[in-house]
Amino acid sequence: MHEYSLADALLAGLTEYLRAHPVAGRVREVHLRKGELLILSAEALAEAWRILTEGTEVAGSELRIEAIPVRVRCSGCGYEGPVRYASEEGWHFAVPVLACPRCAGRAEVIEGRDLAIVGLSVDDGVEASPPGR
Amino acid sequence: MGNRFGVFLRRGYHRASMHDIRVGTQDVFKHQLELASHNYQLLTERGVRAFNVMGAIGSGKTLLILRLAERLKEKGVRVGAIAGDVAGDDDHQKFVAAGLVAANLNTGDDCHLDAHRVGHALENFPLAEVDVLFIENVGNLVCPADFPLGTTGDLVVISVTEGDDMVRKHPKIFAQTDVVAVNKVDLAGFVGVDPMVLVDDYRRLNPQGTVVLTDARSGRGVDELLASLGL
Repeated sequence: MHEYSLADALLAGLTEYLRAHPVAGRVREVHLRKGELLILSAEALAEAWRILTEGTEVAGSELRIEAIPVRVRCSGCGYEGPVRYASEEGWHFAVPVLACPRCAGRAEVIEGRDLAIVGLSVDDGVEASPPGR
Repeated sequence: MGNRFGVFLRRGYHRASMHDIRVGTQDVFKHQLELASHNYQLLTERGVRAFNVMGAIGSGKTLLILRLAERLKEKGVRVGAIAGDVAGDDDHQKFVAAGLVAANLNTGDDCHLDAHRVGHALENFPLAEVDVLFIENVGNLVCPADFPLGTTGDLVVISVTEGDDMVRKHPKIFAQTDVVAVNKVDLAGFVGVDPMVLVDDYRRLNPQGTVVLTDARSGRGVDELLASLGL
């Protein structure tokens, strides 16, 4: 349960960004990259975001979370790419194995621990006609 | 920080004016990594090898650290410990009573240590008086996995009394930790748990890792665990 502290850090980063790069209009969606290695509940993160953003310029915005799969780089054989997943009956989900899938050597995680806001959907408030096209 | 890279018009659904903007805020996890790197640098400069000791509540982390410290002391290695807990100074008192250079680190509310808190603890810690530092994390097999502290090595401690499904119930921390101690193996028969189930699950998740069967009470496995930590 560290979703609140991380949502708070994300909000602080976004507030700072918006101060330097103001947007015209209302922020409706906040696009988040979340690495699959992070043990974060998307529901708890969304709830934390809803509560923490109350009264701020991004109040009412929703998190759109993109799950980022693990990618590794192997210093032994030079492999760079996705990993193998361990899954057993009864585990109900697959767990990334952080070894090189090619040579089984020790591999460095280059993606999969991300947690960053990468985009916004902004609405300038003009209710335009529905897309009849 | 960051640049706006571009604006993409989104074809309207009631809102023709809705558009997506790419923003570049700092990655929160990278910020944690930077804080951890700062701790790592400080520890390296002072010649201290530190270990992040994570594990289940009541798995025997504190006693195992005391046993590791005893062996290290015999070898002339100076050992320190930081006791991380939500509240209280029970573990800290045990470290002090054993003659370790020790500090207490209460998180107050957080379920894990993080690099920022540990950084402040290190600022006040007499690093010149120790060669090896054990940082005992809050008992928790979930949250500590997300927060690197900047230590030389990581250790996860579980015990047979928690059941034979502890590894598969918390796969991510095991997939990311290279040394695991399965403690209280002397009690395996009493609680009807086969330690090898835990060992096999761990090997599937982390083929590179080392798992050691320990009984901290009697000292079984402690030398092997020391070797696994490179000590």
